[in-house]
Amino acid sequence: MSIYLAALGFGLVSTAVIAIAAVGFTMQFGITNMINLAYGEVMIAAAFLAYGLNHAGLSIWIGLVFAALFGAAVSVVVNRALYAPFQRRGASPIGMVIISLAAALILANVLLAVVGPDNVSYTVSDAAAVSAGSFILTSVQVVIIVVAVAAMVAIHALLTFTRLGKAMRATAANAALARNCGIPTGRIMDIVWMITGGLCGVAGTVAAIDSGSFAVGNGASYLIVILAAAVLGGAGQPYGAMVGAALIGEITELSAAALSPEYKAVIAFGILVLVMIVRPQGLFSKTGALGAAG
Amino acid sequence: MSSGQVYYLTTLLVYAGVDAMACIALNLQFGISGLVNFGFIVFQAAGAYTAAVLSMPPANGGFQQYILGLRLPFPLPWLGGAAVGGLLAVPVGLVVLRRLRSDYQAIALLVLSVIANTVITNARGFLNGAAGLSLVPPPLSGVVNTETVWYQWLYAGLTALGCAIVYVAAGRIINSPYGRTLRAMRERELAAAALGKNLVTLKMTMFVVGGVIAGLSGAILVGFIGVWAPATWLYPETIVLFAALIVGGRGNNLGAVLGALLVPVGFEEATRFIPAVGPPGLIPALQWVAIGLLIIAFLWYRPQGTMAEPRRVFGGPGPAPPARPRQHHEAVAPAAAADRGPPLLRTEEVERWFEGLRAVDGVSIAVEAGRITGLIGPNGAGKSTLLAMLAGTLQPSAGRIFLDGRDVTRLPAYQRAQRGLARTFQLSSEFAHLTVMENLLVAVPRQPGDSLFGALRGKSFWGEDERVLVEDARELLARFRMSAAESAYAGDLSGGQKRLVEIMRALMLRPRVLLLDEPMAGVHSSVVEEIASSLETLRREGLAILMVEHELSMVDRLCDPVIVMAQGKIIGRGSMSSLRRQREIVDAYLVG
Repeated sequence: MSIYLAALGFGLVSTAVIAIAAVGFTMQFGITNMINLAYGEVMIAAAFLAYGLNHAGLSIWIGLVFAALFGAAVSVVVNRALYAPFQRRGASPIGMVIISLAAALILANVLLAVVGPDNVSYTVSDAAAVSAGSFILTSVQVVIIVVAVAAMVAIHALLTFTRLGKAMRATAANAALARNCGIPTGRIMDIVWMITGGLCGVAGTVAAIDSGSFAVGNGASYLIVILAAAVLGGAGQPYGAMVGAALIGEITELSAAALSPEYKAVIAFGILVLVMIVRPQGLFSKTGALGAAG
Repeated sequence: MSSGQVYYLTTLLVYAGVDAMACIALNLQFGISGLVNFGFIVFQAAGAYTAAVLSMPPANGGFQQYILGLRLPFPLPWLGGAAVGGLLAVPVGLVVLRRLRSDYQAIALLVLSVIANTVITNARGFLNGAAGLSLVPPPLSGVVNTETVWYQWLYAGLTALGCAIVYVAAGRIINSPYGRTLRAMRERELAAAALGKNLVTLKMTMFVVGGVIAGLSGAILVGFIGVWAPATWLYPETIVLFAALIVGGRGNNLGAVLGALLVPVGFEEATRFIPAVGPPGLIPALQWVAIGLLIIAFLWYRPQGTMAEPRRVFGGPGPAPPARPRQHHEAVAPAAAADRGPPLLRTEEVERWFEGLRAVDGVSIAVEAGRITGLIGPNGAGKSTLLAMLAGTLQPSAGRIFLDGRDVTRLPAYQRAQRGLARTFQLSSEFAHLTVMENLLVAVPRQPGDSLFGALRGKSFWGEDERVLVEDARELLARFRMSAAESAYAGDLSGGQKRLVEIMRALMLRPRVLLLDEPMAGVHSSVVEEIASSLETLRREGLAILMVEHELSMVDRLCDPVIVMAQGKIIGRGSMSSLRRQREIVDAYLVG
């Protein structure tokens, strides 16, 4: 039983990590209509930036801040330089998926050329902060959870209480109409890519902290877990992604305790397939994955 | 030639053949049918693993663990590889292709590719895990000496043969009426379904066909290199094939082969000659970067690829075909129309709600043969929603729909189309990258060449029927004064011309019931007259027509009865002149 209790603790941390990542990913999709397959690679690039700073002697939490800034900058640049021009030309959603996959390939391999294929890990303290039997959280893990909760509250506040959030939701619902109502959709898009890119950078770093060691090759497996959480919650739905993250986080950790950790991604994939068969629109969406889209 | 050079050359030939086959298959799926199979490499891997374990001796507890080990003679491992590639496509297709949106399909297949690799890597007892299979015996080993130069040439020859068969078969599919249907699906799924095309079957078929070819290519490759491991089929390998197809030319069979020669083969060979600089792994990483840049550059500057999809131009009229009256199938004789039998299309209290909004609220209508029933009403009255439910693109929330006395409420759009129901759309929905002629031909039901096997039998099987259909289509084009645009891409036409193409396309279906959603909108006045007079002809021939239209003078001239809808309900019906006398209808619509 104790192994499951420990897994529950791990699951809590996984949930925090996945939630940060999946909310950013799903907001990109919901507002900019872009399934950004380069997301996992931006995560890992940001994690490596944090690693560079950490390696140079800075605290990982300072690295986290820079990773967030880096993720935001890269995302805005990729959108401005690549995605937005193709979207303006009227590329189909499926064309955009291919383009984002090409972007993922480029990012991953530029990174590989720079940092090499080896596994690295951060220097962090691993003192236990909370423990109840075999349920143990280290102080770092507690910080990750706090960061995640803060990010979720901030996103909720942004979408619900601010004019900016309202403008984002309007742009998501109908960009052309929003523009005609005087919403500067171009600037909104930049801000969306900045915020979601920031989340992506944070997610990459906390994911790297959580997994102990990481390498360039991890980008694809991050992406799968994120996709599973986002699709489970209903693509484009930030709150759905949070719930999806909790389900995926706990289920994968509990199954890892029961089976073998190698199959974490397989379990996530199994859930993804099940959702696509039984409820393609996800738990919280009315359309989502259903219906024609070019 | 030294034997070293022979080995190099034959190796190059085998790789070229394998990549060409893969690209041809991917072109059928992506270039022709619009299926984005990001998991393509999994099917090649399935074929390779299958061929390996079919030809290898039973695992004897040595350094490799694997299943089967049947030591089957050539060509059974190759055939087995092809079969497993195709069989694997069935469950994958059933999960992915039935309900998901196309971008989700792509993602699901990408994820499948990553996960399948993870599973095979970790399940050591199945196919020897991460280390993979090695010492796969080459085909015919034991029968001939496989260590000779002669055998190298034989293998290259067998690969070329396989490649040629695949190339010819793919060419037959692409150039047949079946290929035309696939391209129509690629262009616009909703409209293809409205012409009676079963999209799920079409996609599944092409998924399996592609799987068979991919499996065969994997079997050929593994027989040559003798090893197969998870590292050889990581998901980026699929991206290379996509890059090849985008560079070579989507939709062009020869372009697919060219792409295979340029990207996987040419690229790999060119980088051999780059001196090794930097740390190990730098050059391969930059190679991948280049592949990514290549995809983006081509999609931006030359999206059609090096060899664009060919435009199909149909030959001039041959010897005059025997005069054939245009027939609407089981056309009702005018006399029968006068009898006014039971209505061909009928609804009973259909309703459709969108989150509490009752777009259509308890509507019962009847559309009779030999009449044009008008449907008018202000914007938002529910006319298009009603039409979509009649056509089967939208499911009613309640109520029933009958076509020719049969309850079709639950039938999908394509089955209703097959039962003689044709429609046009409010927004133009031409097949943009098909010519006008092809737009018309694709609608004709039951063409001998419009099935996989009909297509594979070649033009001699379907060419004669096609010639007759082309003449039919030309007659129709002449009637609508569109003959000059016969070979133009429908996407290049003006809005009004697209509308005409849609109407003609619906007529090529030879329907008994025709649903028209604002056929006159955006059409030049001279063409409006053309449409009106042909609708009158069709009415005389006994067609049942339901027409949504805002141009009241046309409704006045053509329609009887006229149904008026407002806020989801029918608020009046009868002849136009009687409706004009009803106060509330005039208030609701005719004036304001």
